[in-house]
Amino acid sequence: MTAYEEHFVEVAGANIHFLKGGRGQPLVMLHSIEGNLGWRRYHAQLAEHFTVYAPTCPGFGKSERPPWLETFADLARFSLWLLDQLDLKNVTLAGHFMGGWLAAEMAVMSPHSLDGLILIDAAGIQPQQGEIADIFLHGLQGTRQLAYFDLQQIPEYEELFADKPSKEEREVRARNQETVVRYCWKPYMFSPSLPGLLGRVRMPTLIVWGQDDRIVPLECGELYQQAISGSRLEILPQCGNCPPLEKPDEFTQLVRNFLT
Amino acid sequence: MFLMRFTERAYVDYSEQDVRQSFRSSVRLTFSNSHFDPALGADLYNAYLDEYEYAEEVGFDGLMLNEHHNTPTCMGAAMNLEAAILARTTKRAKLVLLGNPLPIFDNPLRLAEELAEIDMISRGRLVSGFVRGTGIESWATNTNPVYNRERFQEAHDLIIKTWTTPGPFRWEGKHYQFRVVNPFVRPLQQPHPPIWVPGVGSPETLIWCARHHYPYIYLETDPQVTLDLTEIYTEAAKEAGYEPGPQNFGYLVRVHVQDTDEKAYEVGKGFLIGNAGVGRVPLPGDFMAPPGYNSREGAKRIVDQYKRYALRPDPLYGGVDSAGWQKVVESNRVIVGNPDTVIKKLRAVLSVVRPGILGVWTNDGTIGHADTMRCLALMEHDVLPALQEMGKELDLPGPFEQAP
Repeated sequence: MTAYEEHFVEVAGANIHFLKGGRGQPLVMLHSIEGNLGWRRYHAQLAEHFTVYAPTCPGFGKSERPPWLETFADLARFSLWLLDQLDLKNVTLAGHFMGGWLAAEMAVMSPHSLDGLILIDAAGIQPQQGEIADIFLHGLQGTRQLAYFDLQQIPEYEELFADKPSKEEREVRARNQETVVRYCWKPYMFSPSLPGLLGRVRMPTLIVWGQDDRIVPLECGELYQQAISGSRLEILPQCGNCPPLEKPDEFTQLVRNFLT
Repeated sequence: MFLMRFTERAYVDYSEQDVRQSFRSSVRLTFSNSHFDPALGADLYNAYLDEYEYAEEVGFDGLMLNEHHNTPTCMGAAMNLEAAILARTTKRAKLVLLGNPLPIFDNPLRLAEELAEIDMISRGRLVSGFVRGTGIESWATNTNPVYNRERFQEAHDLIIKTWTTPGPFRWEGKHYQFRVVNPFVRPLQQPHPPIWVPGVGSPETLIWCARHHYPYIYLETDPQVTLDLTEIYTEAAKEAGYEPGPQNFGYLVRVHVQDTDEKAYEVGKGFLIGNAGVGRVPLPGDFMAPPGYNSREGAKRIVDQYKRYALRPDPLYGGVDSAGWQKVVESNRVIVGNPDTVIKKLRAVLSVVRPGILGVWTNDGTIGHADTMRCLALMEHDVLPALQEMGKELDLPGPFEQAP
């Protein structure tokens, strides 16, 4: 597995945790609702070709949250500041589900900061037909059942889900859940203005979707594609909301094809 | 001692199977309102109001109401409406609202107006309790649970200022902003109606109440746990410069009286489906306390409390079958019996908890109207006079006898 390092960087007085590994052009991977799950297989595969950054969003895991940071828009502004602090230029920004929404918000706020955008089963747009499943209402277990096409096909299933979480892990999980509620409770997982702003996104954009995503309907991927000029939508069959975990090999190949 | 009567005004015409088929098998929040029959609801609301009016007749000092949403376990979804009716149809008893769930209101000024009207129509009989609401209330009104306590405190501050400061003034808070705060009607009681706060023991709330001199009403907490919680309140009160007494504390307990112990024991089983609903199917924990609803410190303390409950019969949220009913009754977590038995059992509880306010939860679940009226009648002649004497004997002044 490609080596990585753990670091902290100060942003607006808050210590922000991130993992970094690999070499080559910078690729920032924004996590989703479960927080930073550590250096995963897909990180390692991508780090063979790119310098991969996996930051932990403020309020999750080991990252502090400034007390004034309470809205999703502020999270996006803060995260752009994080890119500045990391001195990242010509960066490709990728994000999954909540992280995908965050990446999209950052892209419309500061399109000149990014060279590329990768949205993975991204929240952020309200579907016109279906709805984004309410992960809060489903609870942890219910959401896990919804999130994957088949839990057993996750290569890292044992590492991620087999063991009963320790007291410390439960504490981190509780903090992460609280942070997601703070940022995403209402309106739930979308921004009414985002579709109108996506026309500003001109950088190359890859949209990856699990064909069987039961949390964010595939329709949202299609809406993103329609809203972002020149974007490409790649659909992974027999895959749920988490392609990086459920189909890491196929997912990283799509990213490599996009960036090289 | 201040004696108030309570019921959750349950709707009970549904089955355990109905509950199990609801989303996440929850009797609250997601249990479909297709199970509600408005014709039966009309009968029940009127019966419950009759009971409250009779409770005043038999001698209760207060009529306690509460509010919950999206649940058949409590039909008091618009508690202030019931209070407004009782403001006209009763003459003496205090109207004790425990309470309005402040965080779910986007316009606390409207609430200030409603409560002022109730206070005036009742000629100054309102006790205005405020609560955070359970997590269900946050879900049902889509109020972000992370801000529950902040909104509770800010709405409280705004309402108190609205009642006590001549308008117009401007309010620019974190959660509430109003250009012109100037509701024309103000409460009859000056400077404002008494504020009481019920709960199950969040330490932050206990400390907040102590600092405000607000009586804290324990909702069926385990007696030993209650003493621990009282220490938290007492310590905060001392830091605020005063020594709290029974007038600062209330205790709500289920009490059902019938002519014989045997009948009370059988009828009282109806309590088992109060709170938890028909079938006593356990509620999803994150429905009652969604992420962020409690501080993590407060959440840990509540978990510790439940661990203690696990050592004792827990009549609140499932887990007690009919075989466990005997233990519940023996431990005085629910008090049933003939008048003499009930008086004896209440003495044991009051001697330990020492509240100046006693909430008497006379009926719930499947306990019917006729049995409830008989229970109230028996209280008039035997139980309530004995409790008043007991309050004097045990030196348990209520908040209207001694200022909290």
